Amino acid sequence: MSTEENLARESKPASQPPAPEAQANVESAPKPADGLTGYSPAPLPPAARGAKKKRKDVEIAIRVNKVVKRFGSKTAVDGVSLKVKAGSVYGLIGPNGAGKTTTFSMLAGFLKPSSGEIEVLGYAPTQVDELRSRLGVLPQDALLPPWDKVGEFLMHMARLQDVPADRVEAECREVLEEVDGKDWWNVRCSQLSHGMAKRVQLAQALLGEPEIVLLDEPTAGLDPRVAYEIRQLIKRRKGRCTLIVSSHNLQELEEVCDAACILDRGRVVASGSITELTASSEEVRIKLGAGPAPVAVVRELPMVKRVEFDEERRELVVYFDRGQVDAETVIGHVLWALLQNQARISGVTKGKGLEQRVMELT
Amino acid sequence: MATCPGFASRTRPFYRSAPMNPFVETRHIIQRELRKNLRSVKGIALAVLTLLGGSSIALLIAKYNDFKREEMGQISPEELHMLREKALARLYEEDTAKWLADAPEVLLALLSFTVWLAPLLIALMGFDAISPDIQHRTVRYWTIRSRRWSYFLGKWAGLWATVSIVTLAMDAIIWGVCVVRGEADVATTLSWGVRFWLTSLPLSAIWCSIAVLISSLFRVPMVALLVTFATFFTLWVVYLIANVAHLDPLLYLYPNHYDHLMLDPKAYRFGTGVLASFGMTALFVAGGSALFARRDV
Repeated sequence: MSTEENLARESKPASQPPAPEAQANVESAPKPADGLTGYSPAPLPPAARGAKKKRKDVEIAIRVNKVVKRFGSKTAVDGVSLKVKAGSVYGLIGPNGAGKTTTFSMLAGFLKPSSGEIEVLGYAPTQVDELRSRLGVLPQDALLPPWDKVGEFLMHMARLQDVPADRVEAECREVLEEVDGKDWWNVRCSQLSHGMAKRVQLAQALLGEPEIVLLDEPTAGLDPRVAYEIRQLIKRRKGRCTLIVSSHNLQELEEVCDAACILDRGRVVASGSITELTASSEEVRIKLGAGPAPVAVVRELPMVKRVEFDEERRELVVYFDRGQVDAETVIGHVLWALLQNQARISGVTKGKGLEQRVMELT
Repeated sequence: MATCPGFASRTRPFYRSAPMNPFVETRHIIQRELRKNLRSVKGIALAVLTLLGGSSIALLIAKYNDFKREEMGQISPEELHMLREKALARLYEEDTAKWLADAPEVLLALLSFTVWLAPLLIALMGFDAISPDIQHRTVRYWTIRSRRWSYFLGKWAGLWATVSIVTLAMDAIIWGVCVVRGEADVATTLSWGVRFWLTSLPLSAIWCSIAVLISSLFRVPMVALLVTFATFFTLWVVYLIANVAHLDPLLYLYPNHYDHLMLDPKAYRFGTGVLASFGMTALFVAGGSALFARRDV
């Protein structure tokens, strides 16, 4: 990531605790000693799975409590707990086999947990009528019905969502236009390319303005242009609904998510706001080109807590106290000091990047 | 418009003030199944083959009747009626045989054809009712929008409606052949024809429920097809064995056996047949729905 890009990123004033809303957005499950806030799952209201509850305003959109999913002798998800606040964009991160899609499928009600509880807007995911039109899902690898035309398919979905008959077609056309597919109304689903099909799948997930949208690998297998368009679409939806995005694409998640949890072998290994996960409010990383590396000068700066220098990668890691100073101020002072001492700077990043964080943890 | 919980800054059209009637869900699914079945290549091919097959059989029966009239010209209509009655008595109860002997022969043959070949049609049309949706996870678009049992019910009812429409179309062609060839007048043809078609409906309802149940149990459609054929064939073998060994209770495992009850002129026997057929159907549909509701998709 370039210096300009990093510097252009939104930051908090130095005196403010970083990302308070993201912290509030997400509390998440058992964590290793990684410095992130812990979350001791509190017992859910009785019988969250299957209990009929009255509709109520909810602050926590999704609540997962000690969920386990076993397939025969294999445990795919092992005691995952997390909370997602309404209105946030939350990422599920992890390598293949980490349990992302299984967790996602349980949130959508496709799979039933072997144990533990899940609440979506205060209901069990299997309470279809209570969640009708309030939960939109883009499942991974779920083919569209090949014999249906796009318009027919979307209209059928809208009818099942109880959209009023006089609004069905208009709603479907609107949502299809939103994914840039207004010309596909009469195209059979079997004739759609992968990118087109993904956008139609996204359209059905967004149909009826659901309060929660679950997106499983929304940009997998797409060319960069379509992937970019889908990311923009997700960004446009930010604030209009709660979005849960499961993806391998860490840059994408870092770009769109407020918070995330990192799964590995079925367990949550870290979770929190993206700022916390990337430690972007606690450290800056500076790549140096060939030439002098004036580490001692940086170490002497008053706001700097600690400095590490990786000779091989020529990377300077500057740690600071996030309660006293913000990353932008530190970057300014450190760069000034380095440039004064003839160092050649080839890149600056706040924090370690989600990718590196995931590599460390999984 | 109402404020969406959790999002003070925006409003959304909040369509829903009351729970959606599950039978409305089912109706939407039936409509889609009908559209899919009657428009897909497989559906059209099977419908055309059924209609062609039915028409050919009707013509063969008509030819056979011509031949019979020529060969048995010296036998009076009363004697012929008696002979038919005796022949039918081998298959049905005495009252039923007497009643059926009045029916045009072509239509009676058509009923047998429909009842005996409906399982084949249903197996071919129903094996992929649910299994490809599970295989390709297409079902996931439905399970977040409809109750699992209403999805299952819709699939069954959609298949049953398709089969009923195809058999009605086939029957209508044969009714036409029957009238044109002078086998019976229009009123008699329609009276017996509609009655026989209605009789075939509860039977096909049972076969459809078995086919959809099997389709929901297997992810691979070809496996579902083979298991459906194997099950139907097993039921027929059990029926044959029960017939030969006089194991009457076992006869009721075979759906087509209920035609004996439904063709009976006595109202209570007819009612029992209809109730038993729909009871058996309800059993398979409820069982299938319960299993489908519990499984991971």
